[in-house]
Amino acid sequence: MGYLMHIIIIALIYAIFAVSLNIELGFTGLYNFGHVAFFGIGAYTSALLSLAGMPVFLSMACGMAAAAAAGFLLAIPALRLSGDYFGIATLVFAEMVRLFFLNERWLTRGPMGIPGIPRPDCIGAGIASLPKFLLFSGLVAAAVFLIVRRLTTSPFGRVLKVVREDEFVAQALGKNVFSLKVKTVILGSLLAGLAGAMWAHYVTYISPADFTLTETILVLLCVVLGGRGTNWGPVLGAFLVIFSSESVRFLPIPSDLGRFVAPLQGMIYGAVLILIMLKRPGGIIPEHAG
Amino acid sequence: MIYYLQLGLNGIIAGSTYAMFAVGLTMVYGVFRFINFAHGELIAYGAYLTLLWSQPPFSLPLYLAILPALAITAAIGLAQDRWIFHPLRNSKPITLLIGSIGLSYFLRNGIRIIWGSDLMSYGLESTRGMRFAGLTVTTVQVLMVASAVFFLGLLYVILTRTLLGKSLRAVSDNPELAGVMGINMKKVRLTVWTLASVFAGFGGILLALDTNLEPTMGLTNLIKAFAAVLLGGAGNVWGALFGGLFIGIAENISVAFFSPGYKDFISFSVIILVLLFRPKGIFGILEGVR
Repeated sequence: MGYLMHIIIIALIYAIFAVSLNIELGFTGLYNFGHVAFFGIGAYTSALLSLAGMPVFLSMACGMAAAAAAGFLLAIPALRLSGDYFGIATLVFAEMVRLFFLNERWLTRGPMGIPGIPRPDCIGAGIASLPKFLLFSGLVAAAVFLIVRRLTTSPFGRVLKVVREDEFVAQALGKNVFSLKVKTVILGSLLAGLAGAMWAHYVTYISPADFTLTETILVLLCVVLGGRGTNWGPVLGAFLVIFSSESVRFLPIPSDLGRFVAPLQGMIYGAVLILIMLKRPGGIIPEHAG
Repeated sequence: MIYYLQLGLNGIIAGSTYAMFAVGLTMVYGVFRFINFAHGELIAYGAYLTLLWSQPPFSLPLYLAILPALAITAAIGLAQDRWIFHPLRNSKPITLLIGSIGLSYFLRNGIRIIWGSDLMSYGLESTRGMRFAGLTVTTVQVLMVASAVFFLGLLYVILTRTLLGKSLRAVSDNPELAGVMGINMKKVRLTVWTLASVFAGFGGILLALDTNLEPTMGLTNLIKAFAAVLLGGAGNVWGALFGGLFIGIAENISVAFFSPGYKDFISFSVIILVLLFRPKGIFGILEGVR
């Protein structure tokens, strides 16, 4: 039972992460391949501040703010690029952020990572706190979902889709495309920072190895599998991906084959991404049904 | 002074392999108009397959092991075109990008399954460096530069002196017009993928001779190839060549000023700076795209 709760919490955190990527990738059509950077910035900021004595909720808010600020700083230059080039710039940005975590030992303890990150006081620590943390992450995820759905079904969300389909049309309609994109990236980074902060306070240990291209692929898979540009798609994708990857632990795998499990999972993620692109680019819940 | 010259020399040696990676990436971009995120894995497969053929049960000498290794690398390159990129040619750019990211992740984890995640090497006895005017080079490094020069010279001949090379450049210049003129697109496609795979694979072998093999070598060097391609102007083969050399030299000279942990920051910053200020590349002789 405890394990089931654990999986659901992880899935909820990934759902927030996937929803945040979907705002950029699905709605506005920005190919952000470095979204994990903002997840990492949120996680590290919140972890370090709470360890320095700040109340957990306040430090999570700071983590979100830091991620949003980083998103803003990246967006201003990188959004002058179009399409593929934005993808390269973000991928490279994520690698730079990871190298920063790895090398600035005075701040992040480098590859050793940061242990003992506190959970919020009102939730408590250890296994006993799982139901409360589940409730907490459920509430946060629901709030994020509702806010994002409110935004994407509003005129703002429809303009974003116009930007995705044809920037020039959006411009001709008198929309400031650049400012719309910057807003999207800030919002996406803010929510990715929230997901990262929740991750840090839930897992209570973070290291640079948690914020690599693997996590980018995983969250990309959540969004693409569920259906990009839809509200339920990323949530469904997150639950499917996390449940299937965690259920591998229950398979009776001989211990001498243990080293094959993680890479095999990776191959499956990659293959699923390719297959979705070939056979069903809209994902399970396609944006335009029928 | 000698110290800096030595760093510069190391840079030329590293840069000549980066150039090998970059020319293939830029050719694929020039003809197919998409950035192949799986290009790095061709580098890694070239190196690892050579390891495979040089070990029991085959135990070929290294110079013979290269041949089947490159043949299989080229087959991988052609297969990814045949089953993934060609079927996706008419879809949106993002579909291709996600497909190629999925493919790179698939291939990288394949390496982990077959060869494991540890560092490996060809097990050559380390040769004593030759000293020349106070500078040190090893035989392997001389071989690296010589074969890079040979391969790139060969590429020059193919592109400028053969009909195939001319049609390749024509397609890169204007695909529709080239099609109208009756250029055999299939032949061009096969040529580009074969050349790109062989160059990437051979560059990977050279790099592995001098350093070692690890599953992430594809990704690390892909980022350097990106930097080189952008520096040279996407789609510009000669630009990519000089871009590769520049990155190699800049990276090695940076060791004199920064912590080696940040060596990769050079290619990252080059990417960001070029994207911001010279999106057409420093050597933008041909008209850059976007």
